[in-house]
Amino acid sequence: MSRNRQLFIAGAVLLAFILQIAVMPQFKLFGVQPDLILVVAVVVAVQEGPVEGAIVGFCGGMLMDIVGPQVMGIGAFSETVAAFMAGMLKEFFMTYSILLPVLLVFIFTFLELSVNQVTLLMLGQENLPPFNVLGVILPAALYNVLAVLVVYPVFRRFSFTQKEESLILAKPGGG
Amino acid sequence: MPSSRRNRTILIVIIIVCISLVTLYVRESDTGPLHKIQNFFLDLLSPISNFFSKIFKPVKDGIVNLFHLPSLSKEKRELQKEVATLRRQAGESRELEAQVEELKKLLHWSETNAQLDTVGADIVGQSPSNWQRLMIVNKGSSSGVKKYMSVVTEEGLTGRIISVGSRSSVVQLITDSRSGIGARDLRNRETGIIEGRNEDTMRFVPMNDEAVMQVGDVMVTSGLGGTSPPGIVIGKVTKVKKRAAGLARLVEVKPFVRFSRLDKVLIIITPEPESVILKEAQ
Repeated sequence: MSRNRQLFIAGAVLLAFILQIAVMPQFKLFGVQPDLILVVAVVVAVQEGPVEGAIVGFCGGMLMDIVGPQVMGIGAFSETVAAFMAGMLKEFFMTYSILLPVLLVFIFTFLELSVNQVTLLMLGQENLPPFNVLGVILPAALYNVLAVLVVYPVFRRFSFTQKEESLILAKPGGG
Repeated sequence: MPSSRRNRTILIVIIIVCISLVTLYVRESDTGPLHKIQNFFLDLLSPISNFFSKIFKPVKDGIVNLFHLPSLSKEKRELQKEVATLRRQAGESRELEAQVEELKKLLHWSETNAQLDTVGADIVGQSPSNWQRLMIVNKGSSSGVKKYMSVVTEEGLTGRIISVGSRSSVVQLITDSRSGIGARDLRNRETGIIEGRNEDTMRFVPMNDEAVMQVGDVMVTSGLGGTSPPGIVIGKVTKVKKRAAGLARLVEVKPFVRFSRLDKVLIIITPEPESVILKEAQ
Protein backbone atom coordinates (compact mmCIF):
# COMPACT_ATOMS: atom_id res chain seq x y z
CA MET A 1 0.00 0.00 0.00
CA SER A 2 1.42 3.39 -0.97
CA ARG A 3 2.05 6.18 1.52
CA ASN A 4 -0.68 8.32 -0.08
CA ARG A 5 -3.12 5.46 0.16
CA GLN A 6 -2.32 5.00 3.86
CA LEU A 7 -2.88 8.72 4.48
CA PHE A 8 -6.15 8.60 2.55
CA ILE A 9 -7.43 5.66 4.63
CA ALA A 10 -6.34 7.33 7.90
CA GLY A 11 -8.20 10.50 6.86
CA ALA A 12 -11.25 8.47 5.88
CA VAL A 13 -11.33 6.72 9.28
CA LEU A 14 -11.04 10.07 11.06
CA LEU A 15 -13.80 11.60 8.92
CA ALA A 16 -16.03 8.56 9.44
CA PHE A 17 -15.46 8.86 13.19
CA ILE A 18 -16.39 12.56 13.29
CA LEU A 19 -19.48 11.98 11.14
CA GLN A 20 -20.43 8.99 13.27
CA ILE A 21 -20.40 10.87 16.58
CA ALA A 22 -21.58 14.29 15.43
CA VAL A 23 -23.75 13.92 12.34
CA MET A 24 -25.18 10.41 12.13
CA PRO A 25 -27.12 10.58 15.44
CA GLN A 26 -29.09 13.45 13.84
CA PHE A 27 -30.20 11.12 11.05
CA LYS A 28 -31.54 8.19 13.01
CA LEU A 29 -34.37 6.43 11.24
CA PHE A 30 -36.58 4.17 13.34
CA GLY A 31 -34.00 4.47 16.12
CA VAL A 32 -31.03 3.24 14.07
CA GLN A 33 -28.18 4.93 12.28
CA PRO A 34 -25.49 3.72 9.87
CA ASP A 35 -22.17 2.48 11.26
CA LEU A 36 -19.69 4.36 9.07
CA ILE A 37 -16.68 2.83 10.83
CA LEU A 38 -17.86 -0.66 9.88
CA VAL A 39 -18.60 0.46 6.33
CA VAL A 40 -15.11 1.96 5.89
CA ALA A 41 -13.46 -1.08 7.51
CA VAL A 42 -15.28 -3.51 5.21
CA VAL A 43 -14.49 -1.42 2.14
CA VAL A 44 -10.79 -1.37 3.10
CA ALA A 45 -10.92 -5.13 3.75
CA VAL A 46 -12.39 -5.63 0.28
CA GLN A 47 -9.84 -3.42 -1.43
CA GLU A 48 -6.68 -4.03 0.60
CA GLY A 49 -7.15 -7.32 2.42
CA PRO A 50 -8.44 -8.75 5.69
CA VAL A 51 -5.62 -7.56 7.97
CA GLU A 52 -5.75 -3.99 6.63
CA GLY A 53 -9.52 -4.05 7.17
CA ALA A 54 -9.02 -5.41 10.68
CA ILE A 55 -6.55 -2.60 11.51
CA VAL A 56 -9.02 0.03 10.27
CA GLY A 57 -11.85 -1.66 12.19
CA PHE A 58 -9.72 -1.72 15.33
CA CYS A 59 -8.66 1.95 15.09
CA GLY A 60 -12.17 3.19 14.26
CA GLY A 61 -13.81 0.97 16.86
CA MET A 62 -11.31 2.11 19.49
CA LEU A 63 -12.05 5.79 18.73
CA MET A 64 -15.77 5.07 19.19
CA ASP A 65 -15.10 3.19 22.43
CA ILE A 66 -13.05 6.06 23.83
CA VAL A 67 -15.81 8.64 23.37
CA GLY A 68 -18.81 6.43 24.04
CA PRO A 69 -20.19 5.40 27.41
CA GLN A 70 -19.69 1.72 26.66
CA VAL A 71 -17.28 -1.01 27.69
CA MET A 72 -13.95 0.03 26.18
CA GLY A 73 -12.60 -2.47 23.65
CA ILE A 74 -15.89 -4.12 22.68
CA GLY A 75 -16.52 -1.90 19.67
CA ALA A 76 -12.90 -2.29 18.55
CA PHE A 77 -13.14 -6.06 18.92
CA SER A 78 -16.41 -6.49 17.03
CA GLU A 79 -15.37 -4.12 14.21
CA THR A 80 -12.00 -5.94 13.90
CA VAL A 81 -13.61 -9.38 13.70
CA ALA A 82 -16.25 -8.23 11.19
CA ALA A 83 -13.76 -6.45 8.90
CA PHE A 84 -11.26 -9.34 9.03
CA MET A 85 -13.92 -11.91 8.16
CA ALA A 86 -15.28 -9.67 5.38
CA GLY A 87 -11.76 -9.54 3.92
CA MET A 88 -11.38 -13.31 4.20
CA LEU A 89 -14.74 -13.93 2.51
CA LYS A 90 -13.87 -11.47 -0.25
CA GLU A 91 -10.97 -13.71 -1.29
CA PHE A 92 -13.53 -16.20 -2.64
CA PHE A 93 -14.97 -13.67 -5.09
CA MET A 94 -13.13 -12.50 -8.19
CA THR A 95 -15.15 -9.36 -8.79
CA TYR A 96 -14.77 -5.63 -8.29
CA SER A 97 -18.48 -4.97 -8.59
CA ILE A 98 -20.05 -2.71 -5.99
CA LEU A 99 -22.43 -5.57 -5.22
CA LEU A 100 -19.66 -7.37 -3.35
CA PRO A 101 -19.09 -4.69 -0.65
CA VAL A 102 -22.86 -4.17 -0.51
CA LEU A 103 -23.37 -7.87 0.22
CA LEU A 104 -20.46 -8.02 2.68
CA VAL A 105 -21.58 -4.91 4.57
CA PHE A 106 -25.10 -6.34 4.82
CA ILE A 107 -23.85 -9.68 6.16
CA PHE A 108 -21.20 -8.29 8.48
CA THR A 109 -23.50 -5.71 10.07
CA PHE A 110 -25.36 -8.74 11.44
CA LEU A 111 -22.07 -10.27 12.58
CA GLU A 112 -20.69 -7.08 14.11
CA LEU A 113 -23.84 -6.36 16.14
CA SER A 114 -24.03 -10.02 17.19
CA VAL A 115 -20.35 -10.15 18.30
CA ASN A 116 -20.97 -6.96 20.27
CA GLN A 117 -23.93 -8.49 22.11
CA VAL A 118 -22.34 -11.91 22.65
CA THR A 119 -19.20 -10.30 24.15
CA LEU A 120 -21.35 -8.29 26.59
CA LEU A 121 -23.25 -11.48 27.43
CA MET A 122 -19.98 -13.32 28.11
CA LEU A 123 -18.88 -10.49 30.40
CA GLY A 124 -22.03 -11.07 32.43
CA GLN A 125 -23.52 -7.65 31.68
CA GLU A 126 -27.05 -7.46 33.04
CA ASN A 127 -30.12 -6.07 31.30
CA LEU A 128 -28.76 -6.48 27.79
CA PRO A 129 -30.91 -4.94 25.06
CA PRO A 130 -33.18 -7.51 23.40
CA PHE A 131 -31.59 -9.14 20.34
CA ASN A 132 -33.94 -7.33 18.02
CA VAL A 133 -33.29 -8.54 14.46
CA LEU A 134 -36.23 -6.86 12.75
CA GLY A 135 -36.18 -3.66 14.81
CA VAL A 136 -32.45 -2.97 15.04
CA ILE A 137 -30.14 -5.29 13.09
CA LEU A 138 -32.02 -5.41 9.78
CA PRO A 139 -32.67 -1.64 9.55
CA ALA A 140 -29.04 -0.97 10.57
CA ALA A 141 -27.81 -3.37 7.85
CA LEU A 142 -29.98 -1.67 5.22
CA TYR A 143 -28.81 1.77 6.38
CA ASN A 144 -25.18 0.58 6.14
CA VAL A 145 -25.88 -0.66 2.61
CA LEU A 146 -26.99 2.87 1.69
CA ALA A 147 -23.78 4.23 3.22
CA VAL A 148 -21.55 1.79 1.32
CA LEU A 149 -23.13 2.90 -1.96
CA VAL A 150 -21.60 6.32 -1.25
CA VAL A 151 -18.36 5.25 0.45
CA TYR A 152 -17.22 2.53 -1.96
CA PRO A 153 -17.14 4.68 -5.14
CA VAL A 154 -15.14 7.33 -3.23
CA PHE A 155 -12.60 4.71 -2.16
CA ARG A 156 -12.39 3.39 -5.71
CA ARG A 157 -11.86 6.88 -7.04
CA PHE A 158 -8.88 7.37 -4.73
CA SER A 159 -7.51 3.85 -4.85
CA PHE A 160 -6.46 2.68 -8.24
CA THR A 161 -4.72 -0.35 -6.81
CA GLN A 162 -2.04 -2.40 -8.58
CA LYS A 163 -4.41 -5.36 -8.66
CA GLU A 164 -6.96 -3.51 -10.72
CA GLU A 165 -4.28 -1.99 -12.92
CA SER A 166 -2.86 -5.40 -13.82
CA LEU A 167 -6.35 -6.76 -14.40
CA ILE A 168 -7.16 -4.02 -16.90
CA LEU A 169 -3.81 -4.46 -18.60
CA ALA A 170 -4.41 -8.18 -18.87
CA LYS A 171 -7.74 -7.74 -20.67
CA PRO A 172 -7.63 -8.88 -24.31
CA GLY A 173 -7.29 -5.83 -26.46
CA GLY A 174 -6.77 -3.72 -23.37
CA GLY A 175 -3.44 -2.43 -24.68
CA MET B 1 5.52 -16.81 4.50
CA PRO B 2 6.87 -13.70 6.23
CA SER B 3 3.96 -11.44 5.22
CA SER B 4 1.31 -13.91 6.36
CA ARG B 5 3.20 -14.40 9.64
CA ARG B 6 3.30 -10.61 10.06
CA ASN B 7 -0.43 -10.37 9.36
CA ARG B 8 -1.17 -13.13 11.86
CA THR B 9 0.96 -11.34 14.48
CA ILE B 10 -0.88 -8.03 13.89
CA LEU B 11 -4.25 -9.74 14.23
CA ILE B 12 -3.26 -11.57 17.42
CA VAL B 13 -1.91 -8.33 18.94
CA ILE B 14 -5.17 -6.51 18.10
CA ILE B 15 -7.29 -9.25 19.66
CA ILE B 16 -5.10 -9.34 22.80
CA VAL B 17 -5.29 -5.53 23.15
CA CYS B 18 -9.10 -5.63 22.80
CA ILE B 19 -9.54 -8.43 25.34
CA SER B 20 -7.14 -6.73 27.81
CA LEU B 21 -8.99 -3.42 27.50
CA VAL B 22 -12.39 -5.04 27.96
CA THR B 23 -11.16 -6.94 31.03
CA LEU B 24 -9.51 -3.87 32.58
CA TYR B 25 -12.55 -1.69 31.91
CA VAL B 26 -15.03 -4.12 33.43
CA ARG B 27 -12.87 -4.68 36.52
CA GLU B 28 -12.07 -1.04 37.31
CA SER B 29 -14.39 1.32 39.19
CA ASP B 30 -16.13 4.40 37.73
CA THR B 31 -13.14 6.50 38.77
CA GLY B 32 -10.59 4.22 37.09
CA PRO B 33 -8.20 5.51 34.40
CA LEU B 34 -10.15 4.11 31.41
CA HIS B 35 -13.40 5.69 32.66
CA LYS B 36 -11.51 8.96 33.22
CA ILE B 37 -10.23 8.85 29.62
CA GLN B 38 -13.82 8.36 28.37
CA ASN B 39 -15.08 11.29 30.48
CA PHE B 40 -12.23 13.51 29.25
CA PHE B 41 -13.06 12.84 25.59
CA LEU B 42 -16.77 13.24 26.32
CA ASP B 43 -16.06 16.78 27.57
CA LEU B 44 -13.79 17.44 24.62
CA LEU B 45 -16.26 16.28 21.97
CA SER B 46 -19.52 17.62 23.39
CA PRO B 47 -19.01 21.15 21.91
CA ILE B 48 -18.33 19.54 18.50
CA SER B 49 -21.50 17.44 18.79
CA ASN B 50 -23.40 20.55 19.85
CA PHE B 51 -22.10 22.48 16.84
CA PHE B 52 -23.16 19.79 14.34
CA SER B 53 -26.42 19.21 16.19
CA LYS B 54 -27.36 22.88 15.67
CA ILE B 55 -26.32 22.83 12.02
CA PHE B 56 -28.32 19.72 11.17
CA LYS B 57 -31.33 20.46 13.40
CA PRO B 58 -33.54 21.89 10.61
CA VAL B 59 -32.82 18.86 8.39
CA LYS B 60 -33.41 16.47 11.28
CA ASP B 61 -36.69 18.19 12.22
CA GLY B 62 -37.82 17.91 8.60
CA ILE B 63 -37.08 14.18 8.52
CA VAL B 64 -38.71 13.60 11.92
CA ASN B 65 -41.86 15.46 10.85
CA LEU B 66 -41.96 13.51 7.59
CA PHE B 67 -41.82 10.18 9.41
CA HIS B 68 -44.27 11.29 12.07
CA LEU B 69 -47.01 12.31 9.64
CA PRO B 70 -48.79 8.91 9.66
CA SER B 71 -48.49 8.59 13.44
CA LEU B 72 -49.68 12.18 13.94
CA SER B 73 -52.81 11.48 11.94
CA LYS B 74 -53.38 8.29 13.96
CA GLU B 75 -52.73 10.20 17.17
CA LYS B 76 -55.25 12.85 16.10
CA ARG B 77 -57.94 10.20 15.56
CA GLU B 78 -57.17 8.64 18.94
CA LEU B 79 -57.28 12.03 20.63
CA GLN B 80 -60.62 12.83 19.00
CA LYS B 81 -62.04 9.57 20.34
CA GLU B 82 -60.61 10.32 23.75
CA VAL B 83 -62.18 13.80 23.74
CA ALA B 84 -65.59 12.31 22.90
CA THR B 85 -65.31 9.80 25.71
CA LEU B 86 -64.24 12.45 28.19
CA ARG B 87 -67.13 14.73 27.19
CA ARG B 88 -69.59 11.92 27.80
CA GLN B 89 -68.10 11.15 31.16
CA ALA B 90 -67.85 14.79 32.25
CA GLY B 91 -71.47 14.82 33.44
CA GLU B 92 -71.05 11.90 35.75
CA SER B 93 -70.47 12.73 39.36
CA ARG B 94 -68.15 9.79 39.86
CA GLU B 95 -65.82 11.23 37.31
CA LEU B 96 -65.96 14.59 39.08
CA GLU B 97 -64.87 12.93 42.27
CA ALA B 98 -62.04 11.27 40.42
CA GLN B 99 -61.07 14.62 38.96
CA VAL B 100 -60.98 16.17 42.42
CA GLU B 101 -58.78 13.30 43.54
CA GLU B 102 -56.53 13.85 40.53
CA LEU B 103 -56.25 17.56 41.32
CA LYS B 104 -55.22 16.72 44.87
CA LYS B 105 -52.49 14.50 43.50
CA LEU B 106 -51.34 17.21 41.11
CA LEU B 107 -51.32 19.73 43.96
CA HIS B 108 -49.21 17.35 45.98
CA TRP B 109 -46.88 16.93 42.99
CA SER B 110 -46.45 20.68 42.55
CA GLU B 111 -45.68 21.04 46.27
CA THR B 112 -43.08 18.32 45.96
CA ASN B 113 -41.64 20.00 42.86
CA ALA B 114 -41.15 23.27 44.71
CA GLN B 115 -38.63 21.53 46.94
CA LEU B 116 -36.65 20.14 44.02
CA ASP B 117 -33.53 21.99 43.05
CA THR B 118 -32.82 21.66 39.35
CA VAL B 119 -30.27 22.77 36.82
CA GLY B 120 -31.14 23.37 33.17
CA ALA B 121 -29.12 21.65 30.45
CA ASP B 122 -29.05 21.60 26.65
CA ILE B 123 -28.94 18.35 24.74
CA VAL B 124 -25.75 18.38 22.71
CA GLY B 125 -25.55 14.86 21.36
CA GLN B 126 -27.06 11.44 21.10
CA SER B 127 -25.78 7.90 21.41
CA PRO B 128 -23.75 6.77 18.39
CA SER B 129 -24.75 3.17 19.14
CA ASN B 130 -27.81 1.34 17.85
CA TRP B 131 -28.07 -0.66 21.07
CA GLN B 132 -28.43 2.28 23.43
CA ARG B 133 -30.83 5.17 23.94
CA LEU B 134 -28.61 7.85 25.43
CA MET B 135 -28.23 11.61 25.18
CA ILE B 136 -25.36 13.92 26.04
CA VAL B 137 -26.08 17.14 27.94
CA ASN B 138 -23.84 20.16 28.45
CA LYS B 139 -23.79 20.12 32.26
CA GLY B 140 -21.40 18.08 34.35
CA SER B 141 -19.81 17.84 37.78
CA SER B 142 -18.87 21.56 37.67
CA SER B 143 -22.63 22.32 37.82
CA GLY B 144 -23.21 19.88 40.67
CA VAL B 145 -24.37 16.99 38.49
CA LYS B 146 -23.79 13.51 39.91
CA LYS B 147 -24.35 9.97 38.73
CA TYR B 148 -27.93 8.61 38.97
CA MET B 149 -29.53 12.09 39.17
CA SER B 150 -32.94 12.22 37.47
CA VAL B 151 -33.49 14.17 34.29
CA VAL B 152 -36.93 15.65 33.60
CA THR B 153 -38.81 17.98 31.29
CA GLU B 154 -42.16 19.65 31.80
CA GLU B 155 -43.68 16.55 30.14
CA GLY B 156 -42.25 14.14 32.71
CA LEU B 157 -39.32 11.88 33.53
CA THR B 158 -36.74 11.68 30.75
CA GLY B 159 -33.97 9.55 32.19
CA ARG B 160 -31.08 9.53 34.60
CA ILE B 161 -27.41 10.46 34.54
CA ILE B 162 -25.12 7.46 34.06
CA SER B 163 -21.78 9.11 33.36
CA VAL B 164 -20.45 12.51 34.42
CA GLY B 165 -17.67 14.60 32.93
CA SER B 166 -16.71 18.03 34.24
CA ARG B 167 -18.79 19.95 31.67
CA SER B 168 -21.01 17.25 30.17
CA SER B 169 -22.93 14.15 31.19
CA VAL B 170 -24.56 11.13 29.61
CA VAL B 171 -28.29 10.64 30.15
CA GLN B 172 -29.76 7.16 29.93
CA LEU B 173 -33.28 7.60 28.56
CA ILE B 174 -36.15 5.75 30.26
CA THR B 175 -36.69 3.85 27.00
CA ASP B 176 -33.15 2.39 27.06
CA SER B 177 -33.27 -1.35 27.64
CA ARG B 178 -30.98 -1.07 30.66
CA SER B 179 -33.22 1.46 32.37
CA GLY B 180 -35.41 0.37 35.28
CA ILE B 181 -37.42 2.90 37.30
CA GLY B 182 -39.46 2.36 40.43
CA ALA B 183 -43.00 3.34 39.38
CA ARG B 184 -46.49 3.66 40.83
CA ASP B 185 -49.90 3.51 39.19
CA LEU B 186 -51.71 6.72 40.17
CA ARG B 187 -55.14 5.06 40.03
CA ASN B 188 -54.64 1.93 42.13
CA ARG B 189 -51.35 2.87 43.90
CA GLU B 190 -49.73 -0.39 42.77
CA THR B 191 -45.93 -0.21 42.57
CA GLY B 192 -43.49 -1.95 40.27
CA ILE B 193 -40.70 -1.29 37.82
CA ILE B 194 -40.90 0.36 34.42
CA GLU B 195 -38.30 -1.17 32.12
CA GLY B 196 -37.08 0.27 28.84
CA ARG B 197 -37.08 -1.91 25.72
CA ASN B 198 -35.11 0.17 23.22
CA GLU B 199 -38.47 0.92 21.64
CA ASP B 200 -40.84 3.87 21.83
CA THR B 201 -42.79 2.18 24.61
CA MET B 202 -41.73 0.68 27.94
CA ARG B 203 -42.94 -2.23 30.04
CA PHE B 204 -44.39 -2.02 33.56
CA VAL B 205 -43.72 -5.01 35.83
CA PRO B 206 -46.00 -4.71 38.89
CA MET B 207 -44.78 -6.06 42.25
CA ASN B 208 -48.22 -7.56 42.77
CA ASP B 209 -48.92 -10.12 40.07
CA GLU B 210 -52.68 -9.72 40.58
CA ALA B 211 -52.66 -5.91 40.21
CA VAL B 212 -55.55 -4.74 38.01
CA MET B 213 -54.01 -2.57 35.32
CA GLN B 214 -56.11 -0.54 32.90
CA VAL B 215 -55.35 1.23 29.65
CA GLY B 216 -55.05 4.94 30.39
CA ASP B 217 -53.55 4.52 33.88
CA VAL B 218 -50.98 7.23 34.58
CA MET B 219 -47.63 6.04 35.93
CA VAL B 220 -45.44 8.16 38.21
CA THR B 221 -42.11 7.52 39.93
CA SER B 222 -42.53 5.71 43.24
CA GLY B 223 -39.32 6.99 44.81
CA LEU B 224 -38.44 3.41 45.75
CA GLY B 225 -34.87 2.62 44.80
CA GLY B 226 -33.69 6.05 45.81
CA THR B 227 -32.69 7.51 42.45
CA SER B 228 -35.82 9.47 41.43
CA PRO B 229 -37.97 11.62 43.72
CA PRO B 230 -41.55 10.28 44.01
CA GLY B 231 -44.43 11.70 41.98
CA ILE B 232 -42.77 12.54 38.68
CA VAL B 233 -45.02 11.53 35.79
CA ILE B 234 -43.54 8.91 33.48
CA GLY B 235 -46.21 7.82 31.01
CA LYS B 236 -49.57 6.23 30.35
CA VAL B 237 -50.56 2.56 30.06
CA THR B 238 -51.41 1.91 26.42
CA LYS B 239 -51.78 -1.85 26.36
CA VAL B 240 -52.47 -4.62 28.89
CA LYS B 241 -51.93 -8.00 27.32
CA LYS B 242 -52.34 -11.29 29.14
CA ARG B 243 -49.90 -13.97 28.20
CA ALA B 244 -50.59 -17.66 28.20
CA ALA B 245 -48.81 -20.45 30.11
CA GLY B 246 -48.26 -18.48 33.30
CA LEU B 247 -45.86 -16.01 31.73
CA ALA B 248 -45.77 -12.41 32.92
CA ARG B 249 -48.32 -9.97 31.53
CA LEU B 250 -47.28 -7.25 29.16
CA VAL B 251 -48.25 -3.85 30.52
CA GLU B 252 -47.07 -1.38 27.89
CA VAL B 253 -46.40 2.20 28.97
CA LYS B 254 -45.96 5.08 26.54
CA PRO B 255 -43.74 7.87 27.90
CA PHE B 256 -45.18 11.38 28.01
CA VAL B 257 -41.85 12.81 26.86
CA ARG B 258 -41.33 13.07 23.10
CA PHE B 259 -37.67 12.23 22.87
CA SER B 260 -37.24 13.11 19.21
CA ARG B 261 -38.14 16.73 19.96
CA LEU B 262 -36.12 17.28 23.11
CA ASP B 263 -33.91 20.35 23.25
CA LYS B 264 -33.58 21.22 26.91
CA VAL B 265 -33.93 19.22 30.10
CA LEU B 266 -33.79 19.77 33.85
CA ILE B 267 -31.45 17.75 36.05
CA ILE B 268 -32.73 17.29 39.61
CA ILE B 269 -29.78 18.26 41.80
CA THR B 270 -31.51 17.95 45.17
CA PRO B 271 -32.64 15.71 46.69
CA GLU B 272 -29.55 13.73 45.68
CA PRO B 273 -29.94 10.10 44.66
CA GLU B 274 -29.68 8.00 47.82
CA SER B 275 -27.31 5.49 46.25
CA VAL B 276 -24.76 8.25 45.65
CA ILE B 277 -25.18 9.60 49.18
CA LEU B 278 -24.69 6.13 50.65
CA LYS B 279 -21.63 5.53 48.50
CA GLU B 280 -20.10 8.84 49.52
CA ALA B 281 -20.78 8.13 53.19
CA GLN B 282 -18.85 4.87 53.02
